[in-house]
Amino acid sequence: MLAEDLGVVAFTLRVAALSTLLILPPGLLLGLLLARYRGPGRSALETLLSLPLVLPPTAVGIALLDMFGGRAPLGRWLAAHGLEVVFTWRGVVLATCVISFPLLVRAVATAFAEVDPRLVGIARTLGHGPAAAFLRVTLPLAWRGVLAGAVLAFARALGEFGATVIVAGNIPGRTQTLALAIFHHHQIGRDERATALAGVTVALAFATLWAAGWLERRRTRRLSV
Amino acid sequence: MTAAVEVALDLPLAGGRLAVQATLPDGVTAVMGPSGAGKTSLLEAVAGLRRGARGRLVVGAAVYLDSGAGVALAPERRRVGYVPQDAGLFPHLSAEENVRFGARGDLARVEAAVQTLGIAPLLGRHPASLSGGEKQRVALARALASDPRLLLLDEPLAALDVTLRERVLPYLLRVRDEWRVPVLYVTHNAGEALAVASHLLLLRDGRVEAQGVPLDLLATAGFRREAEAGLENLRVGTVSAHDETGGITRVALREGGEIAAAAGRDRALGSPVTVSVRAEDVLVATARPAGLSARNVYECRIVALVRTGDDLTLRCAALDGGTPWLVRVTPSAVAALGLATGAAVWLAVKSHSVRLL
Repeated sequence: MLAEDLGVVAFTLRVAALSTLLILPPGLLLGLLLARYRGPGRSALETLLSLPLVLPPTAVGIALLDMFGGRAPLGRWLAAHGLEVVFTWRGVVLATCVISFPLLVRAVATAFAEVDPRLVGIARTLGHGPAAAFLRVTLPLAWRGVLAGAVLAFARALGEFGATVIVAGNIPGRTQTLALAIFHHHQIGRDERATALAGVTVALAFATLWAAGWLERRRTRRLSV
Repeated sequence: MTAAVEVALDLPLAGGRLAVQATLPDGVTAVMGPSGAGKTSLLEAVAGLRRGARGRLVVGAAVYLDSGAGVALAPERRRVGYVPQDAGLFPHLSAEENVRFGARGDLARVEAAVQTLGIAPLLGRHPASLSGGEKQRVALARALASDPRLLLLDEPLAALDVTLRERVLPYLLRVRDEWRVPVLYVTHNAGEALAVASHLLLLRDGRVEAQGVPLDLLATAGFRREAEAGLENLRVGTVSAHDETGGITRVALREGGEIAAAAGRDRALGSPVTVSVRAEDVLVATARPAGLSARNVYECRIVALVRTGDDLTLRCAALDGGTPWLVRVTPSAVAALGLATGAAVWLAVKSHSVRLL
């Protein structure tokens, strides 16, 4: 494999890892909210969160471009503070964050919803306040599910294409991820390199998903009564 | 009887509301009633796990709830030991970690709870590998180790089959007798209520239908069938002697007196045991029996005579004190012997009718 390709792989892994870390705190919060909150506005929130799952990523990319582009107030403000988003690595991270966020939130919400609220109640009767009960009961019982969700979000970020290409372009050495590089090589007729990179992508995705499945299986086995 | 718990609760439920007024004495109060009567909701409201509870709730010297004064203690400040029907153990923690969970580092108390429930051999295991009875014992130990002012037990024996139930029941009696904590005990089983409780609260449709001495309430419609299922006399004691040639094991009862059992030579001297005598296995005589083979004879006075199904059940107070005996008799025996409240009787129990649990 060429040094150039290794750089693409490293960049892709870094972007996926960073975007997963970035979405973890808000994902935990929103997942907990979805798992416990039953009041008005819940289904609207749930639907809104699912939108990026079903929309074409290119549509999400256009929406992001309209928000963070040079003509949008937010984009102008960020650029004035030295944080150019569009056509930079930040645009790549932004796109992968938005696309993989719903996957994480759904997994986190499921993991928290599976924790029996009566166990939390029992922890309270045993002298632990809400925060301590969350840290000692809810989180330990849900963490494998949370981790599996994070791995899933990471895997999705690895393969992101549509939104990324619109927000960040396909600039070799600057914004080019694996998915974009495959497209690029294919376009200019270097199909062997496209195929090689596709193979790398398959291996990475397989390893990630297998890890997620392994965590999930361990969780079920440990907690089955 | 000092009032251990004062309840004046009002709680909206999905299909109505719970409105319970009761003053409960120290010791065990059994809570019975048909499904949906609000038994579990009552326990959860006392534990502070139900939002919307209003009224007044006082346990010992602690005011849990006083809506008028704006007092509503959070569950973590009530110090109740709550054991739900399925034990509610934390699946990610070992039995030992479960027991220590609410102990605030009081290891002496943890150790005492482990001893009472006999769970030392189980401590390293996870809940998934425990049987139903073992889970219940660990959950009871966890509740005790948190130094509760009140124990709330929701059908602790219901999920177990009969033989397991008999193995958990002795531990329950030890908790009752050794830990001096008032207990609210939800059960469907009248025999269990009689064996364990000194007070009975009958709920129906979210209201108190009746409360009082368990046996006296058993005549209430709806509980005859359960009452017929098997009343038993349970006593806690320790093995005091083995009479090898006579084939008898003597048990010194905690509340005084002793009882002789035919089985039990395998029990070590000094080991704690629970003895069970079925109400129908007790003989009644109106004069001191002479020339009788039964090893156990107790002089008593009839304090109540209650219709239970087709039979009658006598509650007889022993003259030397202790838990009253329950005796199952037929209406014809009552007529022939002229049994009535206040009459002096001698109860006789064959040593073969004394089972060691």
